[in-house]
Amino acid sequence: MQAPEMLAYVKASAVVLGLALDDAQALRVAAHLARTAALADQLAAYPLGPEDEPAEIYRPSAFPLPAEEDPKP
Amino acid sequence: MKAVASGIDDIRAVATGERSAVEVLEASLQRIDLTDDRVNAFTGKNLDRSLREAREVDARRARGDVLGPLAGLPYAVKNLFDIEGEVTLAGSVVNRTHQPAREDAFLVAQLRAAGAVLVGSLNMDEYAYGFTTENTHYGPCHNPHDLSRIAGGSSGGSGAAVAAQQVPLALGSDTNGSIRVPASLCGIWGLKPTFGRLSRRGSYPFVHSLDHLGPLADSAELLALSYDALQGADPLDPGCQSTAVQPVTAGLRRGVDGLRIGLLGGYFLDNASPAAREVAQRAAAALGVTERVDWPDAALARAAAFITGASEGGTLHLDDLRMRAAEFEPLSVDRFIAGALQPGAWYVQAQRFRRVYRDKVNALLRDWDVLIAPATPVSAPAIGTEWLSINGEQLPCRPTVGLLTQPISFAGCPVVVAPMWPENTDGMPIGVQLIAAPWREDLCFRAAQALQDAGLAGTRTPSL
Repeated sequence: MQAPEMLAYVKASAVVLGLALDDAQALRVAAHLARTAALADQLAAYPLGPEDEPAEIYRPSAFPLPAEEDPKP
Repeated sequence: MKAVASGIDDIRAVATGERSAVEVLEASLQRIDLTDDRVNAFTGKNLDRSLREAREVDARRARGDVLGPLAGLPYAVKNLFDIEGEVTLAGSVVNRTHQPAREDAFLVAQLRAAGAVLVGSLNMDEYAYGFTTENTHYGPCHNPHDLSRIAGGSSGGSGAAVAAQQVPLALGSDTNGSIRVPASLCGIWGLKPTFGRLSRRGSYPFVHSLDHLGPLADSAELLALSYDALQGADPLDPGCQSTAVQPVTAGLRRGVDGLRIGLLGGYFLDNASPAAREVAQRAAAALGVTERVDWPDAALARAAAFITGASEGGTLHLDDLRMRAAEFEPLSVDRFIAGALQPGAWYVQAQRFRRVYRDKVNALLRDWDVLIAPATPVSAPAIGTEWLSINGEQLPCRPTVGLLTQPISFAGCPVVVAPMWPENTDGMPIGVQLIAAPWREDLCFRAAQALQDAGLAGTRTPSL
């Protein structure tokens, strides 16, 4: 992504999230995000298949909770 | 009067009655008074509580009660740990408006139960986002071995307080390297346990997916003893996956015979200065290492850790970034905002990569018991340094200090940092990481003790 496009992205997404950035701060944030974009590009090139799930998978807690279990067999 | 030089000696002295816990505490407080105007490790002291806890230890001993394993040992905590009755600042100004903590953090309670004496709270990078502890609100933390240099971060106060011999033990947090970096740059011992090993309840979070808590200490023995005291299942912390205490102290001196130990090459030496390579190679030689080992996808793991941390960290503070951004640390507020703006696709890709990466790392660790790498690419830079030159490449200083720690914590592996002292760094230390498979802290500690017993790793007294 070119610098003007990144700056435009920062300004637009800041509005969506309700963050007030002046021009100078938007430029600094865009510079940071551009460095992260280079890292994201490396990661995006890593081959992952549809079966590769995220590291963190939601796990429901035990139900019923132990204290609520019917003591009868 | 003896300064607080050895925590293990203090514990023995209190246990035998050679010194009272109050005397040990007073020595610690005097050392803090003498040095902290230059080091700036402490942001708060708990004098009433310290004295009460020390007197309780002395009263127990007078009654003939069994003392805890850390009875009378002074310690301090990074100021993101809850201390009952105190506001948990996490290095910020914003948090000053929060209510005081209603109870101690789980790990503070564990140390209290072991008889340790809480002295105070410690400086850090705001909300743990940094590797340098150049905190604008509370002042930079200074390296006790050269006051013009950083102590590392984000647990910089923890590293500096132990290195300055103000306290022999401190607690810190490590998301991407925040225990290991200050341990390396201050020349002390540090432990980042397995992800999920120690409860995080009662600590102010940075990145839920990556946060670890752990001890920093003045000897391998004290690091082990404190780690054993900190362990314990905590069903109230969803991040605590540990179900059993697995003590390491009893096995510390089992030696390294039979252990398969390797030196990490590739990324871990390519991104290290000659001095950092030197300490890793010296540690490897002392432990009988003959092979270099390639860690899988280290650069990608560092990228994924960076993206994960920035996204979760920025999002965590979104409300305050909307309303109170001017009160944030100027050195990190733009990075927090950039993290909050990251596209979801980057974060999801990082999380999906992390599972594949975990399996690759675990596959490697089937063949190796301990792996060695430098903890930081360089020794401590001067405060205010913006750029580092590593092997001819110019890199931004503040994120680069954590280059060698991030891939390891992203896999959740335990790491002990052993303090070492290379040539040609003007007397400044660089630590080595002793890395093992998840849940095998015992192997890290055996290698650490072997390095200490060989006289290669250990703390030095600063000329403060």
